[in-house]
Amino acid sequence: MSFLPPSREVRERLRTASGVAGRWGGWILGLVLSLGVVAADGEIRFSRDILPVLSDACFACHGPDAQSRKAGLRLDTAEGVRAPGKSGAVVVLPGDPGHSELIRRIVSQDPDEVMPPPKSNRRLTPAQVDVLRRWVAQGASWGRHWAYEVPVRPPVPRIRGGENPVDGFIRARLEAEGLAPSPEASREVLMRRVTLDLTGVPPTPAERTAFLRDDVPGAYERLVDRLLASPRFGERMAWEWLEAARYADSNGYQGDGERTMWPWRDWVVSALNRNQPYDEFTVWQLAGDLLPGATPEQRLATGFLRNHMINGEGGRIPEENRIDYLFDQTETVATVWLAATFNCTRCHDHKYDPHTQRDYFGLLAFFNRTSVDGSGGNPQTPPALDVPSPEQSRKRSEALEDLAAATGVTEAYEDHRFPRAPGKLPADSAAAAGLPETVMAALRVRAGDRDAGKLEVIAGHFRERDPEYAATLDRQRRAREIRDAAIRAIPRVMVMEDVEKPRATYVLNRGSYLQPVSEVSLALPKALATNSALNPSNRLALAEWLVSPANPLTARVTVNRLWQALFGIGLVKTAEDFGVQGERPLHPQLLDWLAVEWVESGWDVKHLVRLMVTSAAYRQDSRMSAALAERDPENRLLARGPRFRMPSWMIRDAALSVSGLLVERVGGPPVKPYQPSGIWEEATFGNKRYEQDHGEALYRRSLYVFWRRIVGPTMFFDVASRQTCTVRTPRTNVPLHALLTLNDLTYLEAARALASEVLQATASSDGERIRSAFQRVTGRLPDDTEVGVLTRALARHRATYRADPAAAERLLSAGESPRDPHSDSQDQAAWMLLCSTILNLDEALTRE
Amino acid sequence: MADRALALTRRQFLGRGGTGLGLAALAGLLEGDGARAASPASASAPGGMPRLPGLPHHAPKARRIIYLFQNGAPTHVDLFDYKPRLRELHGKPVPVEYVAGKRFSTMTGMGDGKLLLAPVEPFHQRGDSGAWVSEFLPYTAAMADELCFVKGMHTDAVNHAPGISLMLSGAQIPGRPTLGAWLTYGLGSDSENLPAFVVMTSVSRGTSCGQIFYDFYWGSGFLPSRYQGVKFRGSGEPVLYLSDPEGLPRSVRRSMLDDLAELNARRLAEQGDPEIATRIAQYEMAFRMQTSVPELTDLSHEPKSVLDLYGPSVREQGTFAYNCLMARRLIERGVRCVQVMHAGWDQHNSLTTELYTQCRDTDQPSAGLIADLRQRGLLEDTLVVWGGEFGRTPFIQGNLDDRKRWGRDHHPYAFTSWMAGGGVRAGLSYGETDDLGMNVVREPVHVHDFQATLLHLLGVDHERLTYRFQGREFRLTDIHGQVVRGILA
Repeated sequence: MSFLPPSREVRERLRTASGVAGRWGGWILGLVLSLGVVAADGEIRFSRDILPVLSDACFACHGPDAQSRKAGLRLDTAEGVRAPGKSGAVVVLPGDPGHSELIRRIVSQDPDEVMPPPKSNRRLTPAQVDVLRRWVAQGASWGRHWAYEVPVRPPVPRIRGGENPVDGFIRARLEAEGLAPSPEASREVLMRRVTLDLTGVPPTPAERTAFLRDDVPGAYERLVDRLLASPRFGERMAWEWLEAARYADSNGYQGDGERTMWPWRDWVVSALNRNQPYDEFTVWQLAGDLLPGATPEQRLATGFLRNHMINGEGGRIPEENRIDYLFDQTETVATVWLAATFNCTRCHDHKYDPHTQRDYFGLLAFFNRTSVDGSGGNPQTPPALDVPSPEQSRKRSEALEDLAAATGVTEAYEDHRFPRAPGKLPADSAAAAGLPETVMAALRVRAGDRDAGKLEVIAGHFRERDPEYAATLDRQRRAREIRDAAIRAIPRVMVMEDVEKPRATYVLNRGSYLQPVSEVSLALPKALATNSALNPSNRLALAEWLVSPANPLTARVTVNRLWQALFGIGLVKTAEDFGVQGERPLHPQLLDWLAVEWVESGWDVKHLVRLMVTSAAYRQDSRMSAALAERDPENRLLARGPRFRMPSWMIRDAALSVSGLLVERVGGPPVKPYQPSGIWEEATFGNKRYEQDHGEALYRRSLYVFWRRIVGPTMFFDVASRQTCTVRTPRTNVPLHALLTLNDLTYLEAARALASEVLQATASSDGERIRSAFQRVTGRLPDDTEVGVLTRALARHRATYRADPAAAERLLSAGESPRDPHSDSQDQAAWMLLCSTILNLDEALTRE
Repeated sequence: MADRALALTRRQFLGRGGTGLGLAALAGLLEGDGARAASPASASAPGGMPRLPGLPHHAPKARRIIYLFQNGAPTHVDLFDYKPRLRELHGKPVPVEYVAGKRFSTMTGMGDGKLLLAPVEPFHQRGDSGAWVSEFLPYTAAMADELCFVKGMHTDAVNHAPGISLMLSGAQIPGRPTLGAWLTYGLGSDSENLPAFVVMTSVSRGTSCGQIFYDFYWGSGFLPSRYQGVKFRGSGEPVLYLSDPEGLPRSVRRSMLDDLAELNARRLAEQGDPEIATRIAQYEMAFRMQTSVPELTDLSHEPKSVLDLYGPSVREQGTFAYNCLMARRLIERGVRCVQVMHAGWDQHNSLTTELYTQCRDTDQPSAGLIADLRQRGLLEDTLVVWGGEFGRTPFIQGNLDDRKRWGRDHHPYAFTSWMAGGGVRAGLSYGETDDLGMNVVREPVHVHDFQATLLHLLGVDHERLTYRFQGREFRLTDIHGQVVRGILA
């Protein structure tokens, strides 16, 4: 190929590099979303039109980072821009581009003068130069980055079809673009879409029938309410939160010890299901331990902060580990609540955003107050909280009582056997004289304080000489073992707890733990906390600020992530970066309206989700006309319904669900379903063996699959690594995915089980069975041509297995669930392949 | 222009067709270049990925790279960096000026007062070039005139995972794209049937201090995931889920995929989402891999004379020797980047025991690979790199009297790597350390310089292969790196 395409990334780069027009439009050849481009004589808006250009082209050398600032010039503040430059020339003279050094330098033809300098690889487009010139001419007004202004509820555009405020904004924009929305999707498609989005599994045949029969107005809204009330809602919504919280069932790094953080995961599911207001959800997870009279549940929630990796590698310097954990906590909180790229400020002031290295360590200081010292690799490093089930609690108290009783018997026996003055030990008794030294040593310890070894030493000595005494000691030892086992069985969750005298926190030069520079106290990020008079004293104050009206970001950032989950792409595509270099929202007013509405609803997550999924925008048909594919390939304007390949975990859950294999039980320890052999062993030199579970554990939802951090479950793809905070995962389309859904045991077994389901259902013909299988998977009935293709395939498969019955037996041996005893195996094998084909349809993998 | 071309073709196609889309027409549409298109909505690429426009930046000397990565840090002072003075000062304390202010791992602390340790085995000068190589590595030694020893390597990291991450991704903290990901992102792939970036790992039997192979060693970081390395497994099927299940004949699989393609093509006509076309192409690529991967690993046509080059364990899947042979077979089939990683080398207390095993398992295969590439004419445009993440201390870890437990600790201040093939000056020893092998005194090569040089040899300007993430342009060498001109042929 002589002329290769710019890849998507390059287009992305061209788009951002072309600045204002590009940011808001497409890229070249007029294939643009003609969005919001500043008209040639239009009014310049600082935050929209100017800041992104200055940031992209100038801030690397003339931005917030004092260390790398050139010529003492900064262009990220109004003062900097108005100040006289080094040469004495005014950088920007409002109203007069001709006497503004900034303009002179960006149009200069002299390679030594022109800005940005050629070797920076940055270049302003003529359009950008023009915009800057007009900005100066119009008075060079200054403002703040949009995301740092507290959102204000904008008026909803009054427009036909805009009853749901979401649609008011979407349709107003479509109208301005000269585009029409798509009609509503068919009820089958819509039902599958919303059921997958809100519960992570497709509708059952019974649910589908009920919905399709409900022709009373409001049927869709009632469906949404049912889905929101389902316990599956929390299980579905938890996934992205676990990825953001880098939740895993092991430490990571060498050793990769197993941890028991899963009660925290169950807490997340339950909080989502009972619709805990998001402000409270936040406060509990960041500072539940600091709430007055903190309950165990509130302390459990703080496990969020302790989900980071733990490094137990030999030779590691504990302080270096400890600082790494703090980095992780700081950056996770900054990403999840502020969509701020704080990792950039670990080593230096931010190059683009107004965050300083001091801000970073001021935030880090909130977390630098626990007893964690970075040593060892204990996957239950204190502070930790035991989270027993009622059964485990009961067993523990019984075991403790039994041990106390057994110890009491020993004491009574020893009082009699080793008579002595009160307060003295058995070894002090005259009756103990002459005993071997090991026995004496054990008798110098109070009966209740002896470990198993000491008890055994005494019992061993007396087994022949005094069998009754030995038996007493043996009972005590067994009671100890039972108590230990009862305690070990209880999951222990690492949580937050501040020490009384916190360490000092220092700014670390280049982020190195060896180079503390200057002490910092607890501080909110200055650029964001301008409205706050708060003098924060601990994590609780931080958490409260994050969800206070003074913080411009939390509501926007979270609304955006939810939008991303339901529409496939955020209103701000860079869900992890709301800074100056992040994408500007395509629908800024919609984002702000939703943010304000949400906060005023009392941070009601289900209310927000309901608003989104009942919008006409969400309910549209997703068909893509050629014109629209060209005009808006990513469907950012939403002139059609969102359509995208489901997350891999949802594909698995859906396959288990439609085949009837899914075991729905909420919560509990992680499970180990089928995985090709040797994955853990190869990654850990045989130190970790994958002991696959059997029975129901094979069919639990993906949420509960054991997540080994150094080698994640192989049945998922395009998921977060769970090593660090991730709020946006890629959606790729590669051959390895095809191999997985074709050949992974889970999917083969699902095909076999689905075949059994349709074979066992009363049906009059193959055609009817094919329709049923197809509908279970895709949510719609196939047309006659599709039935024809599948009928012919079935005939071919039957011929294959009639000719080779042994092959049928081998195929049907996939999976541990029982075989269907009723139908003959050749027929079953043929149906199994047919179902595998259906499970691999693009439509089966896609949320239409 | 293929993205757009495809979209336009499809539009015309769909506009005209609408219904009754023939499979033949679809096959034509998906054939060749069309199948390479990434759809706008998601990152998608069946094999044969395109390269970025403008790349290569200059005429490449090497078209592909094989990185023989030695995890755990081989001891430069025992293998390549000959220091007679260490023998003279054997058992004497390190002169303080050599270690002042330096940081070692917690196992050593600050290094002062440690006792120097002579090289375990004798060194000799080899070939016309006279390069010094230890008796530990007889096969490598015999190949010395083909190799370029970079003796002034130095790094910032003192622990394995951060050190390896720095070496392969340019940053100590995991999460940046690795060399192989950058290369396939920039240069694309010539293989229609195999991934562009393949990784294989091995460990010597009996290694007591194994390092874990974290998947971020071949990760794509913030680059789209199609650029991440595909790890071929060391046992069983090299690619997960490659084999069809028992009882599913190949012809039936083919017919299933035809059914799928037909149904999906109808859906594409109805739906219009180009992602569906990509999906059809991916299922076809998967089918081809089911043939190409077993063919790749079928050694029945390799003559004994070739197998013998790699040594006795070449037939044993999961060994370094097997992986070296596989590396050659992969690059022959158009794979851009092969990363062969061997763990062990962490001689804290095993210089006189396990080091022999490490060398035995890697020496002959490494040299054999060079010989095999040379005899096929592939060495000219293939770059081979051999090295670890740092070196080992010239002083002892352990007790001088306990020879069986002699060891050396991690040493970031100097170590040796070697390169061979495309564009590298053969028979050169570049750079020099002080008389104890402690610090670089001439022609230092930092990790980022090394990376800049590798990219340069492959036709890439390390400052210009960038990717925008979190609002700034990132590159393999971060903000550092100078091409090491002195080693270029």
